[in-house]
Amino acid sequence: MTVGLVLDPTSTRDDDNPSPGPDAGPLAGKRIGIRRDNIWRAWDWISELWAAKFRAAGAEVSFWRCFGRSGEEGERMERELAAWLATLDVAVVGLANCGSCTGWTIRDAITAANAGLPTTAVATKNFEAFAHTIARRGGRSGLRVHVLPYPLNEQEREVVDAVGESHFAGLLEVMGASLAAAERAA
Amino acid sequence: MSIVTIRKPRTPEPRALVSRDCGEGVCEVDWLASRRHESDLDVTAFGELAMAKGWGDGLPLVPPTDARVQAFLQANDRHPDEVICELPPMRAECTVEKIAINAVMAGAAPQALELIIAALLSVAAPDFELYGVNTTTAPVFPAFVVNGPVRDRLGVPYGYGCFGGAAASAVAIGRAIRLIMRNVAGQVAGETSQTTFGSPGRVAGILVGEWEERSPWAPLAERRIGVKGDAVTSFGAMGTMNILDTTSQRPDHFLEMIGKSLAYPGNNCFSPAMPYGEVMVALNPICAEILGKEMPDIAEVQERLWRYASLPADWLQALHREQLEAQGRVRDDGRIYLTPEPKDIILFVAGGLGGLHATALHTFGSSLSQTQPLAQATATATAG
Repeated sequence: MTVGLVLDPTSTRDDDNPSPGPDAGPLAGKRIGIRRDNIWRAWDWISELWAAKFRAAGAEVSFWRCFGRSGEEGERMERELAAWLATLDVAVVGLANCGSCTGWTIRDAITAANAGLPTTAVATKNFEAFAHTIARRGGRSGLRVHVLPYPLNEQEREVVDAVGESHFAGLLEVMGASLAAAERAA
Repeated sequence: MSIVTIRKPRTPEPRALVSRDCGEGVCEVDWLASRRHESDLDVTAFGELAMAKGWGDGLPLVPPTDARVQAFLQANDRHPDEVICELPPMRAECTVEKIAINAVMAGAAPQALELIIAALLSVAAPDFELYGVNTTTAPVFPAFVVNGPVRDRLGVPYGYGCFGGAAASAVAIGRAIRLIMRNVAGQVAGETSQTTFGSPGRVAGILVGEWEERSPWAPLAERRIGVKGDAVTSFGAMGTMNILDTTSQRPDHFLEMIGKSLAYPGNNCFSPAMPYGEVMVALNPICAEILGKEMPDIAEVQERLWRYASLPADWLQALHREQLEAQGRVRDDGRIYLTPEPKDIILFVAGGLGGLHATALHTFGSSLSQTQPLAQATATATAG
């Protein structure tokens, strides 16, 4: 046996901000942005349902939908995202429901969090651990992630709507958001 | 909505190297910064250590000792601390030293360094969208087409078995790039990569030359960015798809068979997630010769292929059709075309002379192919 030294082939990146970022706080009067993508119709349905609840709580809601992330389309997406984030008080970013779309969901959520916005990413259960891994690799290990069940997009609308209803309270908890007493009663 | 088109590839700035001419000994400046690990230097024992540490791919590895890595660097004109690029999802810096260590482990020759660097620069370009490529549930991996004399200098195959099976040093070069994806980019299946099935191409990649001498058209890199000579074109490939045609006689018949075969409904060019995509097709030399006689301009080959590579929208299930309609992909003729434009069908000539097959590589989503010239040493200087 010949023992010697070998060189480590790996590279690491150690920078990290473990903070979850600020709480969303009371939602009344705030501008909440919801990021959508071009693939998960279940996320369209749930985000539509949640938007109605945010509006009922006195918030304004705007949507931004991302498409391709390369070439001129990708550059347009970057410009649109930056401009949209500048109009917001709170960001809800989804949907992490595949490999690349989890990557881009988390990447856009980190962009929002690094801009100082109270930010929550939304992932399905199968991609929860991956979402946290990618957040850590992206330098925001404490990023807030709300988890929906999986599989989701394969379900019928009534099933998905029920998921949206049952997960709204949990979403608010992860966001650090609160509703006024009258809104909670409603 | 309108059709989203893909811009023409950009020409990267050429990079000239200054030869360090280190002579017999190690260059004085070749300090190595990587952490050292004690290991049994027997290949089997080192392989076990590498697997335990997550460095390996399951095949035997050459232990990357200081001496081996120094020798690798000595044969080249780069300093080990030069940062070549950042690779996602880790976003860690990919230095020449890390490239050399992984190349040594893979068994790649020192002369392959500039090809490896050019390949890495091409996939690190933002439009390649390596972030998505390395994290997706898809089996995608970067495939590389090499142009120029470097093909023969390094033994990059472009004839029989060039996509796999030919005994060639390109296998070790491709494997070196894959180890860099694992150890520097941090692509680990089930952790940072969600790939459902993966691919054999994620072990040693695809590194294939273009058989320029048998092509009736200009080399791929020259057609794409005007570079004559050594260059590499990267493409996010989902795998290889063989297209058999033992029947056609006329050029247009070949193109109809290839084009219709390209447009299968489950390929990523029709993904509702991405409103555009590319496809790469390797034409064998015999077929290329037949096509070239009637179509000396390759743009005409692309145009005809593109017209065949489409599906009638009403053939698809409603949910699929509606998503593609929302992207503006259903054209006035009621068809959905594989790529936005004919130029997005990327053609090159390779393969044996059996003449019966074409090979297609379908894209992953918004990953766009990139072409990168290899850097060349232009002067002699003494390392200091």
